[in-house]
Amino acid sequence: MIRLTIDEQEVSVPEGTMIVDAAAKVGIDVPIYCYHQALGPLGACRMCLVEVEKMPKLVTGCTTAVSEGMVVHTKGPRVEKGRQGVLEFLLINHPLDCPVCDKGGECYLQDYAFEYGPSKGRFQEPKIQKVKDGPINEFVLIDQERCVLCQRCVRFMSEYVGEGQLLLEGRGVETVVTTVDHEPAQSHFTGNVIDLCPVGALLSAPYNHKGRPWNIDRQTTICPQCPVGCPSKMTTRESHIIRMEGRPVPNRDWGWLCDRGRFGYDFGYHPLRILDSTVQGQSVSSAQAMRDTAQWMKETIRDHGFGSIGFVMGGHFTSEEAYWIKNFAQDVAHTSELATIRNVPGYLPITLNGTFEDLEKTDMTVFVGVDPYEAVPVVHLKLRDRLRHFPHLKVVGVGPRKLTVDTLPGTDYIVPSEDEAAFFAQALLLAAGEDPTAEMLAQKVKDYPLPIDSTTLKSLGESLLKAEHLTLLWDGENPQMEQIFKALAQLREAPTAVLPTFGPVNWRGYEKAGIPVRYEELRRLLTKAKNGDIRMLVLWGSDLMREFPDRVLAQEALAAVDYVVSAQIRPPLDMPYVDALLPVAAWGEVEGSYVNMEARVAIAAAGVQPPGQCRPTKSYMAGWARLFQQAFKVEEEWDLFADTEGDLIPRHGNGGDEMMPQAVERPQLPEDPGQWKVIRGDLVWENGIPSEILEPRFTPFVGRIHPLEAEALNIGPEGGYVDIETAAGTVSLDVRADSSIPERTLWVPRSSHYDWNVLLNEVRQIKRREEVRSL
Amino acid sequence: MKPEWNQWAQEAKQQFPEANSSLLPLLYRIQHAEGWLSDETIRDVASLLGLTTQYVESVASFYSLFYRQKVGRNVVHVCVGLSCALAGSDSVMEHLEHKLGIREGQTTADGEYTLLEAECLAACDLAPVIQRNLRFVGHVDPENVGRVLSDDGKEVNS
Amino acid sequence: MSQQYYLLRNREVPDIDQMPVYLAHGGYQALRKALNDFKPEELVDMVKKSGLRGRGGAGFPTGMKWGFLPNDGRKRYLVVNSDEAEPGTFKDREIIEHNPHQLIEGIIISSYATKAREAFIYCRGEFLFGSEQLNRAVREAYEQGFLGENILGTGFSLDLNVYRGAGAYICGEESALLESLEGKRGNPRLKPPFPAIAGLYGGPTVINNVETIANVPVIVSKGADWYTSMGTAKSPGLKIFSVSGRVQRPGNYEIPLATPLSTLINDYAGGMLPGRQLKAVIPGGSSVPLLTPDKVDTPLDYESILQAGSMLGSGGCIVLDDHVCIVGATARLVRFYREESCGKCTPCREGTYWMTDILERLEHGLGTLEDLDTLADVADNIGGKCFCPLGDASLGVLVSALQHFHEEFVAHVEQHACPMGERLYDTVNN
Ligand SMILES: Cc1cc2nc3c(=O)[nH]c(=O)nc-3n(C[C@H](O)[C@H](O)[C@H](O)COP(=O)(O)O)c2cc1C
Ligand code: SF4
Ligand code: FES
Repeated sequence: MIRLTIDEQEVSVPEGTMIVDAAAKVGIDVPIYCYHQALGPLGACRMCLVEVEKMPKLVTGCTTAVSEGMVVHTKGPRVEKGRQGVLEFLLINHPLDCPVCDKGGECYLQDYAFEYGPSKGRFQEPKIQKVKDGPINEFVLIDQERCVLCQRCVRFMSEYVGEGQLLLEGRGVETVVTTVDHEPAQSHFTGNVIDLCPVGALLSAPYNHKGRPWNIDRQTTICPQCPVGCPSKMTTRESHIIRMEGRPVPNRDWGWLCDRGRFGYDFGYHPLRILDSTVQGQSVSSAQAMRDTAQWMKETIRDHGFGSIGFVMGGHFTSEEAYWIKNFAQDVAHTSELATIRNVPGYLPITLNGTFEDLEKTDMTVFVGVDPYEAVPVVHLKLRDRLRHFPHLKVVGVGPRKLTVDTLPGTDYIVPSEDEAAFFAQALLLAAGEDPTAEMLAQKVKDYPLPIDSTTLKSLGESLLKAEHLTLLWDGENPQMEQIFKALAQLREAPTAVLPTFGPVNWRGYEKAGIPVRYEELRRLLTKAKNGDIRMLVLWGSDLMREFPDRVLAQEALAAVDYVVSAQIRPPLDMPYVDALLPVAAWGEVEGSYVNMEARVAIAAAGVQPPGQCRPTKSYMAGWARLFQQAFKVEEEWDLFADTEGDLIPRHGNGGDEMMPQAVERPQLPEDPGQWKVIRGDLVWENGIPSEILEPRFTPFVGRIHPLEAEALNIGPEGGYVDIETAAGTVSLDVRADSSIPERTLWVPRSSHYDWNVLLNEVRQIKRREEVRSL
Repeated sequence: MKPEWNQWAQEAKQQFPEANSSLLPLLYRIQHAEGWLSDETIRDVASLLGLTTQYVESVASFYSLFYRQKVGRNVVHVCVGLSCALAGSDSVMEHLEHKLGIREGQTTADGEYTLLEAECLAACDLAPVIQRNLRFVGHVDPENVGRVLSDDGKEVNS
Repeated sequence: MSQQYYLLRNREVPDIDQMPVYLAHGGYQALRKALNDFKPEELVDMVKKSGLRGRGGAGFPTGMKWGFLPNDGRKRYLVVNSDEAEPGTFKDREIIEHNPHQLIEGIIISSYATKAREAFIYCRGEFLFGSEQLNRAVREAYEQGFLGENILGTGFSLDLNVYRGAGAYICGEESALLESLEGKRGNPRLKPPFPAIAGLYGGPTVINNVETIANVPVIVSKGADWYTSMGTAKSPGLKIFSVSGRVQRPGNYEIPLATPLSTLINDYAGGMLPGRQLKAVIPGGSSVPLLTPDKVDTPLDYESILQAGSMLGSGGCIVLDDHVCIVGATARLVRFYREESCGKCTPCREGTYWMTDILERLEHGLGTLEDLDTLADVADNIGGKCFCPLGDASLGVLVSALQHFHEEFVAHVEQHACPMGERLYDTVNN
């Protein structure tokens, strides 16, 4: 630790700390524009001038590292004159159009101008004219005249994200920030530059001119779009969410968001939003819908006894809502038939659940079936951050296609999803030799044929065992992987952390609330429905036909029951079977907690009123209970945070048994290796939450095939339509070429507007479709 | 992309094996052949050297000798540095503008000449000086600028 | 004036840029001597003893610079700065165009002394002929076995590459030069680390000016004592001064340091143009303060010039006569810095823009007295606050002009016009 004095205050900081950060530690604010801790020193803007005793000139606090005994003054006439000078320079070519600028009131330039700025402008010459309101892309606008050339945006995109889509063009006072060939920037992370820009040069296009600091509300919340649950801020005005911003959490999170999360906030008032109650196809009043559905429940219980109603959680509800549903189901509807919608069968015991802190320490990261860039984008950024600090980071992809990307390069092992566990079991067996755990794990798959040679497997196994801090990201597609994770935890002494990337986003919250989340529970529940043991289904946000991989079972269950009640924010695919469709309040409209993929609890704020007839889950439960003439307390004490481990769900599972690995089951060999294979993946853009703002960025061609295959089908780089003949009929699909997909393989996103779960059926042929499908 | 560019890229890479040092030499070589650097050329150079377009674009835009706009077959740089100014370079510029019928920064309609300012060309002993396609012509007589536009203009280095 | 040449030997030996001619006139003898008779450390000591100081502008002792390289086994580089773009300076151009072999000989010796195995000449982009000359001379040196593997059978090997800049004055600044040499935008780097610790490709790097290195063979063949016999104790040896502006014979003059400025102007450069009086002289390239005629007898050595209120800089001497408008001349120089600011840091980027605007307004009689205060204050706000020295360099002439020629600035304001006429050239020839 280095000790120094800043403005008469003593401070101790680690070696290498910059003066500005040391000052911040004791609450002294040194103004900065170009510096950002995540990006490192640059020294371009010169705003952070401070005086250091024994140094002849003022120095920039952002580029000067502390040294023992240093005496720093951040105030005083010299410093003030220096800063005033810099500020005046920044203003001479600045348009000073604060009244029409979105950043007005939230702008560092304004703030510092107020604090240090000249009282009157001395600059009389014409200002340099540059582009105003030019596009960075569909979501981000640039006003080059307001830009102070701090380079934060350019450095973030090229150094941090690694996707060089912004650049400095020109030199000197003519320098501007622009995009490559002046074409729209395509990255998933472009919106962050809005937060990073210290002035009003980079603005959110959808937010532009929608709000001013005095007529908006800003609330602390989290993003609900994927299991990362990024800390964010929500801006609301007149009951509309009009902006999402990142929210840095000191020492934990830089506050990055992906564009999906930042700009996809408009589902609340999307035209598809369900605003009315519908019973048997008729639009009815909310009260009527409550009465009818309550009546059905009563009838069902009366005719078929306790346990004849099944509840399936899904969607984006809070943990509290899940808790009320569970209580309602048990206490009022007298059923314990509860499940959570799942689109993959995997489950992760809490004991193994890692956190993002593991990503900051990891030396080896394995992507099992998942490409984080697509599924959980900010995790990809967190790994980029790790890579910048630790260039030796080993990245490995194991799954049915290439999972690593150029910006996070690594080694890929292409194995079918169903073979993933066998692959790891063999690798561990080869590396761990006689170890009984490894022996046991691999006993059924020892000689299972894999397309990877044993030398390669062995060395991968050795890396897995040797890694000092192993993290694994897992899509949950192959449930046998659970055994691998348990085995790794046993075989390794160093930390092993698994981060589940599957949904629904708040499944851990549902689990914590007491709703079963394992896939088998849902399968069991649906089978009972199909067999007539369950006679009514209440689908709370879940859409079985869209989400459950076994479409046939879902359909049979829906068809077999007497009543289907579905609470949704958008029309479900289940619709033909739905007897009552209930409009329900969504994220942003109710306050409550979410548990993310780290099993960390965070609160989402209620910023706006639910639109139309949408009611919070709470009102439905309380209302139904009243109709049952039963007391039902929704205000009941339940505190997710009551545990001792802060905001993390405690890691102790249900004892040792849960952690004992079992032998990996032998996968079935595919009947016809020449046949088309259908593989699935998560794509946050295709998570199904509707957004008009994002419309221009939703890729029309979502299915993916190998470039050679595309060529054979005469599909150009822009994509094309194909007909897919399956055992269950012909499906049409929009596909494009993607070199990460193996040959004879079709990739489809889960839970999209595609019938991805039908495509599971044996694909016989894929043909180019000539006419363009009208959407 | 011209077929020979790949060869040139390999040669540049061999000469400067480290970092991206081969970029400027390759840009020069291609610009010499093409006259200027179009967006497409920039993209090609990026892919030849395994760099991003963004990077190459940004680098090229920094240097005044890389032309991101089409220029004439003859690029005439008039030094406007102090020593040349003291010897009449402003008049040289004016006469050239008049003679070519264009303003500084422009190219003649026939694509023959582009007229540009240059900062001190480190040839103040020859003031006023111009460069035609980077060849020096010194002691330019403002009243008689025509000679610098043709090959007869005396090359001062030899 | 009779002249002895050690650096500009092309002045007395025609075609010395050709290898055979250079060899016939004792070329590469210093190299033989250095490689055969000296250990690298001894050469570093010799250069230290010679007191040779960097001729690129800062005047830093060369031997000392060489001594900073850490002994940690990393690959070392020697980079020669031939980006010469400081207005008024044109000495390096003459060396590379007409005496390139002396530079190359110096590079090989200096690389041997600093244990560099790879050297680069960063040549200003506008020097097309110069780079052709260098490339040819380098090729000849390879053919003669002075470059490449096992030079002169001594086991010492060196590769030398000529790299062309592409039009950016800032790339003369050593760290910006390294960026450019690595194929990047020429933005200066954060220091520390200094190039000696982490320079080109992150390796320990020596960067020297062309003239500095061209001195090395002379020192090796004639000895450090001979070198220190010229000049002063702190500024020994020879220096090329580039004289331009309103003198009879503009050109490069190679003279011992501490020669009086008046001797350079009057005797070497032939004095002022007929009928003209000296008004001011910028003695060290456009970045240094100007000197008034009362300082014309100042000896041209680093200390004396500093004492007189300016700097020796690169030795680019711009001579202004009594018909030159100081405001116009200053505007022209400050404009140069506006054009050449890399744009990275605020004070330099915006400040040079602002100062240029004010100066051009003043020059055209559109200024106010307030502008003069603003100008001085803007200069103060730039001074010492920029990322690299370019910002400060833009102030040298301006600040001294405001000080010494305040009346003339005021006259521009009061007469609402330039008292000398609208344009520099027209005024000086009227
Ligand atoms: C803005 C700027 C421009 C410079 N231009 C040159 C130049 O053109 N040539 C040069 O040799 N040094 C130039 N220098 C000085 C170099 O940074 C460096 O000090 C020099 O090359 C070191 O060589 P020396 O020690 O032999 O003088 C410049 C410095 C600055 C700040
Ligand atoms: S002073 Fe600043 S803007 Fe100017 S050249 Fe140096 S770094 Fe660039
Ligand atoms: S914050 Fe220090 S120079 Fe910009």
